[in-house]
Amino acid sequence: MHTGMVLCIQDPSPLSRTKQAWVKGRGFLFNRSNQLKREIMFTKKNKHTGFTLVRKRVPYLFILPWIIGYLVFTLGPLAFSLVMSFFDWPITGDAEFVGIGNFAKMFTGDPQFYNSLLITLKFALIFVPLNLFIALLLALLITQPIKGMEIFRTIFYLPAVVSGVAVSIIWGWIFNSEYGVLNYLLSLLGMEGPRWLIDPKWAVVTIVIASAWGVGTMMLIFYTDIKGIPNELYEAASIDGAGPIRQFISVTIPSITPTILFNVITSVIAALQQLTLVLLLTGGGPLKSTYFYGLFVYNNAFKHHELGYASANAWFMFLIILLLTLLIFKTSSTWVFYETEVKKGKKGGRK
Amino acid sequence: MKITRKHKIIVYTLLVLFSLYFLFPFLWALITALKTQQEVFSYPPKFIPDAALFSNFIEAWNSQPFGVYFKNSVIVTVMTTIGQLISCSLVAYGFARYDFKFKNILFILLLSTMMIPWDVTMIPLYMEFNMFGWINTLKPLIVPAFFGSAYNIFLLRQFLMNIPKDLENAARIDGANEFQIFYKIFLPIMKGPLTLVAVLNIILVWNDYLGPLIYLSDQSKYTMALGLASFQGLHELQIIPIMAMTLVMVIPPVIVFFFAQKYIVEGLSGSIK
Amino acid sequence: MKLSKMHFFVVLLVAASLIVSACSSTGSNATKTEDGKVTLRFATWDVGDDVKLQQKLIDQFNAENKDIKVVLEAYGSEYDTKITAGMGAKDAPDVMYMWNYPQYQNALEPLDSYIKDKGEEYKENFYETLWNYNSVGEEILGLPVGYTTHVVYYNKDLFDEKGLEYPESGWTWEDFQETAEKLTDKDKKITGFAFPGQPDPYDFEMFLWGNGASYVDGEGKLEGNLNSPESIQTFEMFQSMLKEGIAITTEGWGDTEMKSGRVGMFINGAWYLSAFEEAGINYGVVEIPAFGNNESASIVSSSGIAMSKDSKHKEEAFRFMEFWTGEQANKERMSFELPVLKNVVEEEKLTEDPVKKVFYSMLEQSEGYTPTSFIIDDWSNLSEDLSLVFEQIFNPSTLMEPKKVINDVVK
Repeated sequence: MHTGMVLCIQDPSPLSRTKQAWVKGRGFLFNRSNQLKREIMFTKKNKHTGFTLVRKRVPYLFILPWIIGYLVFTLGPLAFSLVMSFFDWPITGDAEFVGIGNFAKMFTGDPQFYNSLLITLKFALIFVPLNLFIALLLALLITQPIKGMEIFRTIFYLPAVVSGVAVSIIWGWIFNSEYGVLNYLLSLLGMEGPRWLIDPKWAVVTIVIASAWGVGTMMLIFYTDIKGIPNELYEAASIDGAGPIRQFISVTIPSITPTILFNVITSVIAALQQLTLVLLLTGGGPLKSTYFYGLFVYNNAFKHHELGYASANAWFMFLIILLLTLLIFKTSSTWVFYETEVKKGKKGGRK
Repeated sequence: MKITRKHKIIVYTLLVLFSLYFLFPFLWALITALKTQQEVFSYPPKFIPDAALFSNFIEAWNSQPFGVYFKNSVIVTVMTTIGQLISCSLVAYGFARYDFKFKNILFILLLSTMMIPWDVTMIPLYMEFNMFGWINTLKPLIVPAFFGSAYNIFLLRQFLMNIPKDLENAARIDGANEFQIFYKIFLPIMKGPLTLVAVLNIILVWNDYLGPLIYLSDQSKYTMALGLASFQGLHELQIIPIMAMTLVMVIPPVIVFFFAQKYIVEGLSGSIK
Repeated sequence: MKLSKMHFFVVLLVAASLIVSACSSTGSNATKTEDGKVTLRFATWDVGDDVKLQQKLIDQFNAENKDIKVVLEAYGSEYDTKITAGMGAKDAPDVMYMWNYPQYQNALEPLDSYIKDKGEEYKENFYETLWNYNSVGEEILGLPVGYTTHVVYYNKDLFDEKGLEYPESGWTWEDFQETAEKLTDKDKKITGFAFPGQPDPYDFEMFLWGNGASYVDGEGKLEGNLNSPESIQTFEMFQSMLKEGIAITTEGWGDTEMKSGRVGMFINGAWYLSAFEEAGINYGVVEIPAFGNNESASIVSSSGIAMSKDSKHKEEAFRFMEFWTGEQANKERMSFELPVLKNVVEEEKLTEDPVKKVFYSMLEQSEGYTPTSFIIDDWSNLSEDLSLVFEQIFNPSTLMEPKKVINDVVK
């Protein structure tokens, strides 16, 4: 029944000990035979009350709000944009059916498409691991039992609270090569600062620095999860003689794999769709070095008024992201551990 | 965890270094907001303005009906947060704690809504809202939140997946119905993650600029983020009021965060023990 | 037990659908208010105090015209995104500010017949050049509201420091470069001239005009125009100023750098008059220098107002547009917009104002030039290509040879 994205743990991995301890920590390790007995009772009871039938519907009732929302607010516009991708659809004037013309133009007649795709993937390749690493590091830092931590936590989270527009303005101001404050400070140290936003080699670095500034959201998600790890786990590990690093690797990381998965996927999506910063900070330059795919789509839609072409671009990126996400989910069965699945794993991993 | 001296020194060093990176732009924004027009652009840059002009903040606030914008922003933020909390907790619970037909496909469908670039669905969505008569009202910003967002649902699902299955089984045996299990057992456990979702949503909505830009046209409906952007013309930006209002705009979410921390700290475990 | 559970979901569902239906029932009949007035939506790109002034003018119009209610909508820097979205969804404002007519022409109402009804005199009172900028082909799509030509701003203090004479009308690019060289002072981080490293191709064409060249000819052909010797010479001249270190390129338009007080000269429109004043820059303005004996020319950044083709109240909309472009409105906006009506300019003696006269003389010099964006259909794409070429020429890390990259793009 669990196919595809969420697979159960089948081999008792070295982690299963941690997992058991985790369950114990929460006081839910049931005696297995006892458990089985109860489950039998439970099923019997259901049969008598017709409960199974209702239970079949219950999950749909829970997800009903989203289904309604999807039908009302998402499906229509989505379908509309898919239709548009087969049309020459100027914002003003009449649309004209062009079949796969937009897609053909994209792959054969527009070098900018490949350029944008390439630099976006490059950016994602730098940005996603770096951001995850920093977020995790910060999350660990702010869990340290040290005085004044509320203040540091707030400081680290502060930038994530600032709107994208303001972030671009502030950083653009700081990064100005000739008269910006950053290069001035560097000059005081006797260094000649790079031309941040003018030199194509540095522009991507600039974008990374400015976007990593908002890492607080991811940090907070990790932090919430780390805070949920029962202390007993660490105690058990430290009895086994594990130092802080060992504890981090064998207790913290395995326990937060679900949120790691979440952060990986959402940051991949965010990196591949990055728009605000490049639109406002660099405008895609210098020399198109930051002309990310998101900007490519945006300009095709709002500057060139080619909605059909922009839709084709968007749907292509959609497919890439979807495939990447599915791929990550596939691999996640080997490194993401959900508490809900531990039991099945122990029962022999019915699929 | 035991804390050694060496450990403490490393932690403090890192904390201070990162604080520098995170705080410097704010500091610079604050210094800029307190300067006179002449000082702002002078080179070499001035780190201490001759006179700190706190009046810049008052001027910026009064230059537009920010009182009205603030009210609108609060309405939108509070309403969407309520909507997201209700809808996302339900939906995430459905996805995390049950097996049902088409679950995987539906879940992929849910995730896929995060992947379509906003640019191309915006115009059809605009048409739809226009058909409903919602343009130039706060509804397009509020109502969809009551039907959940993929990001929040996915996030809550990840937390819910990580709670042992025995929990609801035990409750079922005790005769609780499905909704009671959700409401009485899971919601209290999820206090930390739900607070997290609330905080993330508040910040997202508070700063949202494109949504209000597209759907609102009348100044009396504007939100804070739109007001902030109004200091930026086609040819020139008014740097002092922008910096001042950026800092003012940060205050409400930071206050929320500061107090929400305590619930987030409880993480998942809070009430299980 | 079963009931209560189902009950909850039913309530939820009903509540959800209630929200949707209750909200949609308000419907959209925004064009007429309860008291039978016609409501006109009017979009402006201005921000800040300018909007307040515009609101005052509108209040006055609304008071004078009992049957019309104009509502001002200010979109700021994302004006084009918002207008585009509105047009795409067939919900554009009735009247809107406009400059990039070719881009939006299909959504705009041609105004020729309205203007004809007003008589020749009405039309002649506007500067002729501006009608060109508010038309596409033979059709007039907007009424001129304001304009700016581009001029050289110079920092008087820096000139004084070096004991240089202020530049005067009729100077040449050779004079300009000489001046820039004298102004430059590496130790003090002072540069003679600052221009954008990614200049807007729409603006940059004026320098080619001044040298008797342009991007395209009347038929829209690049060959022999963009890559003509005069055109390439123009690019080479700008590049050589960079190479000699007497000019710098900037990330934005260069106003930030100018405001730092470390830049001698800067070329742009009237937008920065008050901004430089506020930043405490003691500046003067002068016409753009000429290539030898040619007369320099400037692009006109015009602002007009146009009517949406989909407007349901075109007659009322034009009445408002007339008011907005009339004498009184021209005078009221003088603090931030250069009047476009000849009789207002005369009455207010603007051609004698030491600053404003420069913009009017540039306007006269620029008569008869048509920007490429009004000639070819696909300007937005060409503009993007040109933009990259400019960067390759002007970016300090590439500084590519103009002749080569320009010939490449022409092909």
